[in-house]
Amino acid sequence: MLNTFLGHQWKSFFRSRGKGTNIAVQIVMGLLILYLLVCALAVGFFMDKILHQVYPDRNVTEVFNGMILYYFALEFLSRMQLQELPTIAIVPYLHLRIAKRKLVNFLNVRALFSAFNIIPVFVFFPFIIFNIFPTYGTFAGIMYLISVLSLAFFNNYLALYVKRLSISSARFVIIGFSVLIALALLEYFKVFSIAAVSNWVFSQVAHQPVIAFVFPLLAFAIFNINARYLRNNLYMEELSAGEGKKTSTDYPFLDRFGDAGTLAALEIKLILRNKRSKSTVSKGLLFIFYGFLLYNKKYLETNDFNMMLFAAIFMTGNMVLLYGQFMFGWQSAEFDGMLANKVSIRNFFRAKLLLFNLSSTVLTLIVSLYGFISWKILVIQFAAYLYSMGIAPILVMYFATYSYKAIDLKKGSSFNWQGVGATSMLMSLPIFLAPYLFFLPFSLNGKPFWGLAALGVAGLICFLTRNFWIGVLVKAFNNRKYKIAEGFREK
Amino acid sequence: MIVEIKNLKKIYADRTVVNIPELQINEGETIGLVGNNGAGKTTLFRMLLDLIRPNEGGIFSKEQNVSTTDDWKNYTASFLDENFLIDYLTPEEYFIFIGSLHNMSRNDVEQYLQRYLEFFNGEILDSGKYIRDFSKGNQNKIGIAAALMQNPELLILDEPFANLDPTTQIRLKTLVKGLRTTHKVTTIISSHDLNHVTDVCERIILLEKGVVIKDIQTTENTLKELETYFSE
Repeated sequence: MLNTFLGHQWKSFFRSRGKGTNIAVQIVMGLLILYLLVCALAVGFFMDKILHQVYPDRNVTEVFNGMILYYFALEFLSRMQLQELPTIAIVPYLHLRIAKRKLVNFLNVRALFSAFNIIPVFVFFPFIIFNIFPTYGTFAGIMYLISVLSLAFFNNYLALYVKRLSISSARFVIIGFSVLIALALLEYFKVFSIAAVSNWVFSQVAHQPVIAFVFPLLAFAIFNINARYLRNNLYMEELSAGEGKKTSTDYPFLDRFGDAGTLAALEIKLILRNKRSKSTVSKGLLFIFYGFLLYNKKYLETNDFNMMLFAAIFMTGNMVLLYGQFMFGWQSAEFDGMLANKVSIRNFFRAKLLLFNLSSTVLTLIVSLYGFISWKILVIQFAAYLYSMGIAPILVMYFATYSYKAIDLKKGSSFNWQGVGATSMLMSLPIFLAPYLFFLPFSLNGKPFWGLAALGVAGLICFLTRNFWIGVLVKAFNNRKYKIAEGFREK
Repeated sequence: MIVEIKNLKKIYADRTVVNIPELQINEGETIGLVGNNGAGKTTLFRMLLDLIRPNEGGIFSKEQNVSTTDDWKNYTASFLDENFLIDYLTPEEYFIFIGSLHNMSRNDVEQYLQRYLEFFNGEILDSGKYIRDFSKGNQNKIGIAAALMQNPELLILDEPFANLDPTTQIRLKTLVKGLRTTHKVTTIISSHDLNHVTDVCERIILLEKGVVIKDIQTTENTLKELETYFSE
């Protein structure tokens, strides 16, 4: 029976619609996963050297022990965001003569097919085999292996269980990351340390390997809790989101923008009430931490703004890019209705622009906190902001008129390539490159601030003349609207 | 004359799915469009609403080609399928949105909805659900009510009786008949239910493979005539 189920899954994957056109994407995904696994393997084999490089004055095994729980804490959060719940697949079997137990087993086995469950093997096993076995003996080594595997399984089923309890995982991930950052800070200020806890736990395991049986027990416990929960809730409606009473809402703030405001309010509801849009936007919010990676002292002192401009554009305009690239795709389900109703396309574009501008403004206000690092960052971000207000949305919306792919709003956004076509992939390139058209001519001549000013002025001009650009967009749209509508009808 | 079809042709992969050299629809007429699956009913509706582009000819609403201006949207209301509904809204939000497109205030919409409480049978309003969580029949009701609310001169409904419960089917028939007498609304509906369509419509257009086979005024013999045609 289990084999039949897995066979069906296999077919559903290979016969899924749009697979033919997305085959290149599948290959890219496959290569990406392969690449990740190779990286994991490399990290695993060179673990002792890497650890020695990073912490030359500390005992390698100690650092390794300290790392294990950290890894699994991070992995848990990633699983929450990336791992899919394999539930919808069983709906067609519910009414058939198949014992519930078997369905639950299938769901649980199916959940093991995830790259997340292989990576820890690659990362940790080599070090354990080459370093722990010789130092602490075979028994301790085996218990290490069992512990790591058990932790992976524990995470696997805990993540699924938590996800089943609270389908809206985006909020959870943000809270989780905040907790992790807080822990990292506590560790940094030497108040409390996961690493110390982890190190303590695993040094106990090293000396008293029997203790490690706790981990498989924990994994088994969460497996059982998960299985029992599934068995008790194996009903169509309970497998999906918890149903609360839905109420009508208003955004009076948007009323002042007239018809475009009404449409923008509609779109905000779209974002908040659908899974795919919600996770896209919440993921975009995580990018405001990009600055920590790319803003750095050396660049600031030498006025080398190239990388920082990239970060600023990405942070102030990420909603425009991530959300905007699908443009009409978000409305694909009701697109016919939009066209047949008395909605003017001009207002439709104006509403999108309004939303983009609101998001860029809010994001810019948030990332202004980077200004504490240096005033130069504020200047860069302001130029990027004007670009994200005036030029980026127009470019995004123009390219979007070439995208004919519908989007299913009920699916999550992680590794979800539905609606992603060659155009939307290529589209991000000009949007990142365009600012440098204005910036580079000046910065290459040693006047980076003039470059920023040029970018800002260009953005401002486009913003002020937006009605003209919307006219251009409407024309482009009208040329292709039948094709877009047709594309959206085939889901 | 409100709608005029001239030399209309739609071709998909070398197959002509709609081919209507000439057809005129007068103000205040209630027209029933019948035909088996694949006769071209929905394709015709979509062209009438400028959702797909004809390969040849065009459809003229009040003498203006629907694909070149948007003026027809001011007096045309339609409901073809669920793709016309915004499924993440509550019914109330949807009605208010559609109302706002026709400059109806929230109060206007609420007042209007009062008249349709019977039609809704207590299932639509204050239900605490998004449109996507309703059954197909109830989604149909929402779409039809939203179309009627726009106070159109031209009303287009694709298989409005499908998925509706018997009580609502009868109520819908009364509603459509009422529109003709009170508001002079031109109505075009398609249906597979010959009983309903001959009961409601004054004029029946029978399509087959995209071609108009019959175009008749309804009499007491029409139902028989259609039944004989389809049983052959």
